[in-house]
Amino acid sequence: MNDKKLKTFLAGVFDDFKVFAPAKNDGKLVVGEVAKAEEIDWSGQMPVNPWKKVFLPSEERLFSANGDKLVENKNIYPKVVALGVNVLDLRAFTLLERVFADDVYYQKRRRNTVVVGYSPDWPIDYKKYKVFSHNFENEILEHLLFDVFIAKLKNNNFAFYSGSIEGQKLLEKYNISDYKNIEYIGSTPKTSVDRKMLQLQEKVAKSADKRIWNELAKICLACGKCSIVCPTCFCFDLEDKVDPENPGRIRKWGNCFYNDFSRVAGGYKPLDDVKQKIYFWYVHKFVRIPREYKMPGCVSCGRCSKVCPVGINIGKVIQNISKIK
Amino acid sequence: MENVYQTQKARIVSINRESLDTMLFRFKFVDKKLQRNFAYLSGQFMQIGLASWGECPISICSSPSDGKEFFELAIRDVGPLTHKLNSLGVGDVADVRGPYGNGFDVDKFIDKPLVIIGGGCGFVPLRPLIIDYVNGRIKNNKLQIFYGCLNEQTLLFKKEHPLWNRNSEFVISLEKPSDKWKGEKGLITASIIKRDIDPKSVVVIVGPPVMYKFVIAELLKKKIKPENIYVSLERKMYCGKGVCQHCAIGPYYVCKDGPVFCWKNIKDIPGAL
Ligand code: SF4
Ligand code: SF4
Repeated sequence: MNDKKLKTFLAGVFDDFKVFAPAKNDGKLVVGEVAKAEEIDWSGQMPVNPWKKVFLPSEERLFSANGDKLVENKNIYPKVVALGVNVLDLRAFTLLERVFADDVYYQKRRRNTVVVGYSPDWPIDYKKYKVFSHNFENEILEHLLFDVFIAKLKNNNFAFYSGSIEGQKLLEKYNISDYKNIEYIGSTPKTSVDRKMLQLQEKVAKSADKRIWNELAKICLACGKCSIVCPTCFCFDLEDKVDPENPGRIRKWGNCFYNDFSRVAGGYKPLDDVKQKIYFWYVHKFVRIPREYKMPGCVSCGRCSKVCPVGINIGKVIQNISKIK
Repeated sequence: MENVYQTQKARIVSINRESLDTMLFRFKFVDKKLQRNFAYLSGQFMQIGLASWGECPISICSSPSDGKEFFELAIRDVGPLTHKLNSLGVGDVADVRGPYGNGFDVDKFIDKPLVIIGGGCGFVPLRPLIIDYVNGRIKNNKLQIFYGCLNEQTLLFKKEHPLWNRNSEFVISLEKPSDKWKGEKGLITASIIKRDIDPKSVVVIVGPPVMYKFVIAELLKKKIKPENIYVSLERKMYCGKGVCQHCAIGPYYVCKDGPVFCWKNIKDIPGAL
């Protein structure tokens, strides 16, 4: 990465922020904190873990209990940059931005976070991903939220884009002036609907009594690993810490495959077998999220398939569901 | 930006033991201005909790017309938090936020006979409808109430039954009553079968999951229209605003799109009822 502009950008970013980026670790590509630019992996491949921890920690304190008073916790939000987020992960990030739009904790953290997208071979990069869950538009950047986007072009030059005022300020600060402003026009095009997304929405919604779910339920272990690595799985539990030293209310990642997910006090448990759980997971991705946010709830990153101990491949499942008459 | 998880203090101003495991609490917000501006609909719920004990959703069971003065929650002791809540006394405070959910769209009930069917502790969210009918605030020409319960000890709102009885056709059926019980025995479905129900009626049903299937089957036989059948669902909830996912059914959230649903809209969703 000898590009001069990129070098100044990286130098600036490492001076000003805690940097999270994909880096090779034991042969695996992992998103984590990196100490210097040389560690960053620029292959554009899918990291094994999602970026969501940067925006939604697996556990965070919402309130501290002061006697019987719940006081909003004054969390400290360090200045962080998420550097090198690929287009599919940006799509997942765009969803999180919508889901947590009125969440004060998410928003405070977000204010101190800069999101830098990256593509290693623009503009064909995203076409290489095996996208099965939605259609990609040609003006892909217009449908994604980010602060800065860096694209490596065919001629090995880099193009810079800004997607927000913060992004602009940052680029100016690092003396990069030939960037293009991208205006976000919504996560899906206004003029044409994402037909693929809508077709899948209908298919999944109507497939509850189809054999496919029985077959999946026979092999799925309900281990929940797919949900942990999924960049769009954002569900959570609230929990009160009984810790006498530091009592309070926390929020932590939930998992719809876990047994207590739907259990109400008194014992009633609507999701009480594997078939219901796995179907619930697909309905969230392919029915609820498109209905609420008009965007796909699965970005086709393939992480869940890689991590599944019994080899359930979401791309194949979706293919089979599309074939159901 | 407002913190949607921030709770407010509400003080218990009176308590009535309703049954072996259920207490009726009347709350007033400690902040008087909050109480003056408080408004809710029949069928909506509050998140109530205590620092270190967590939160849970409880249907409001007072009439919306009392909202500026107080709100009432009937809390059944089913776990550590509700056990703790039920041990509180007059003057104690709890943390609440809400109201949440959609409530009953009473405008759609106008001029139709109203039928209220409740099972066990599911009867709680139905009380505001009955209070408002009795006080003439919802204009229906007829009210029938069917209340199915295990025994005399588990019946809720007993003090109000004479008043309800004067204003409606009020049927209680107990599954395992004492020898002294003079009323109907057995499942509530049997009491419904026996009676005439106007096919134009709006029917509201709240009860344990097993009850819906049988009761709705009987109603359909009596030619009640699916779009006139309403239910209120119970689910696990944390956020109350359609984010945490615990209460999702098919495409909907019980906390936000419900807890009141028109049966017609959810009858094909697997696992909803
Ligand atoms: S990772 Fe595979 S086995 Fe585990 S819950 Fe997900 S689909 Fe089931
Ligand atoms: S491919 Fe799997 S992990 Fe990736 S977004 Fe879709 S459901 Fe989530």
